[in-house]
Amino acid sequence: MRPHRVLRYLLCTALALTSLYAAAEKPTVIRIGVAQQGAGDPPTFGGSTAATVQNQQLLEKEFAADGIKVQWLFFKGAGPAVNEAIADDALDFAYQGDLPSVLARANGLKTRILLESGVRSGVKVGVPPDSDIKSIKDLKDRRVAIFRGTNLQLVADNALAANQLDEHALRVINLDIASSLAALASKGIDASVNDYHLYRLRDQGLARIVYESQHDGPQFTRQAHLLVLDGFEKAHPDIVQRVVNVFVQAAQWSSDEANRDALFKLWAKSGVSYASWQAEFAEQPLKYRNSPLIDPFIVARYKAVAQDALRLKLIRQPVDVDSWFEPRYLENALRAQKLEHYWTRYDAAGKPLG
Amino acid sequence: MTDTAITISPDTPRATASHIGTAGTHVHARSRAALRACAWHLAPWLLPALLFLLWSVGCARGWIAPQILPAPQRVYDTLVDLALSGELARNTLISLQRVLLGFAGGTLLGFTIGGALGLSRTLEAWVLPSFNAVVQIPVLGWLPFLLLLVGVGEPLKYLLIGHAALVPVTLSTMQGFRQAPAALDEVARVYAYTRWQRIVRLVLPAAVPTLATGVRLAFTKAWLALVVVELVASSEGLGYLIVYGRQLFQLDLVMASVVVVGVIGLVINRLLDALEKRLRRGTPSAFRA
Repeated sequence: MRPHRVLRYLLCTALALTSLYAAAEKPTVIRIGVAQQGAGDPPTFGGSTAATVQNQQLLEKEFAADGIKVQWLFFKGAGPAVNEAIADDALDFAYQGDLPSVLARANGLKTRILLESGVRSGVKVGVPPDSDIKSIKDLKDRRVAIFRGTNLQLVADNALAANQLDEHALRVINLDIASSLAALASKGIDASVNDYHLYRLRDQGLARIVYESQHDGPQFTRQAHLLVLDGFEKAHPDIVQRVVNVFVQAAQWSSDEANRDALFKLWAKSGVSYASWQAEFAEQPLKYRNSPLIDPFIVARYKAVAQDALRLKLIRQPVDVDSWFEPRYLENALRAQKLEHYWTRYDAAGKPLG
Repeated sequence: MTDTAITISPDTPRATASHIGTAGTHVHARSRAALRACAWHLAPWLLPALLFLLWSVGCARGWIAPQILPAPQRVYDTLVDLALSGELARNTLISLQRVLLGFAGGTLLGFTIGGALGLSRTLEAWVLPSFNAVVQIPVLGWLPFLLLLVGVGEPLKYLLIGHAALVPVTLSTMQGFRQAPAALDEVARVYAYTRWQRIVRLVLPAAVPTLATGVRLAFTKAWLALVVVELVASSEGLGYLIVYGRQLFQLDLVMASVVVVGVIGLVINRLLDALEKRLRRGTPSAFRA
């Protein structure tokens, strides 16, 4: 053997060993990004399986014995800000909405979707109590606040399109959730495209809700998920599996009607009132909203989001959705917890599958 | 952004160099002087060129993720796209309109307040402390309050930009009005100038250089405020393009907008600089530096 070949051989062995070692080595901390501002001290959030996991400190308990810390990082800038953190490799997991994740994927961020966390959520339009706006149609030429780049935007665009309108027909102002609510309360805008946060304003008599997109069918809803960064998934598949196990367990607890009261009380810690959660989930089974399943409906929704984003020029190259999901961990967890048939699977149109 | 950059005249070194040269080495000295003048012109570009090189190499070598800092080529392509689609012109015009209106309003008000404060010691004693206290609050600090007061429309932008321009203009006007040389003031008294004559013939000419500097600084402040204001609440303009790019995770759009903001700021700053020099030339020789 020539000397440089020996050297190369040695180098390769060393590299292989270090990568093996790196894979086996446990991380000291698991960082989870949350595409929400968070409220309270310590900050919490509500409205999804991820929120249940965080509020009940399920991951902290799961990893306490291993000496692994769990960090929940909240982002006032919501999905777009989470994307920046992912690009910076500052997160391992993220709770994210559909559109921001599609934007990230279109720009080359390497992530895998593990399970759904909060699905079929509606988008609401709030107006001042004395406003003459009665429906989406009346929004034409009005000052409407939309938080662009979040999963509110696309549903709003679709609702507008169903009424032969688009963002250009409105005077859209780009405001985050909190600013949008403040502007609505002070009547600085004519309407706010928002989420369950609007219920508080309504209950205070500061707003009237004129539209809730979920009434128009499941294709007018937005989805959110738990994703993992590619690098972390490759390095620590065992930890990913344990995280998914915990999420599935929390999804089951959050889907059990017996816990409806306890669930809303738990989520109320986030500053969004019990009454708001009652309103948000009224007339809907918890299972329908807190299913973690990646079923044909979910896949179809993400494909539609990717297509709509391309059509509206929010992204510049098509996004491949099929290879994005990594349902392996979810399936393992469902099998282990005997929950394979607990949640109903839905077809692409949102109809229950046999 | 160049914050009222001090431009060193390229003539200075050349002039001294040619005086030093004796008859024998005259030609040599001249070419050396020309070279040095050339270097003076190139010097300001050295740092940007170095940064650009670092950016290009950094992207090519993958030191930074392309999602965080896109390659120069990508930013250039986006810029061309923006220009061709008309988006750039539309947003730039809106931004320029906002800044010009706000700047004009703020400057006029600044001249008035500053002039009044400069001419009247009594007014200064009464008003200046409050004025100083109020201007210590940064533009963003006013935002929540103004948002409730005037809403998120155009007036909000004009107010904040005007406020940014108001402060430097007021302070420099006040200072400028105090600069009339005592000797000339005495002469004016001897000639029994009226108050108005004193202001027009004496105070104003003496104040011009300081005023010009104030206006130039005010423009820089206004331009910075514009971007901040558009970042917060708007749906068009250059600052908005930056936010929009960020929210769509298109950092190339962010960078392209930043480049446009920087270039426009630089160009206008240069224009004001030239204007300032012109004004200085117009002042009576007694007041030249």
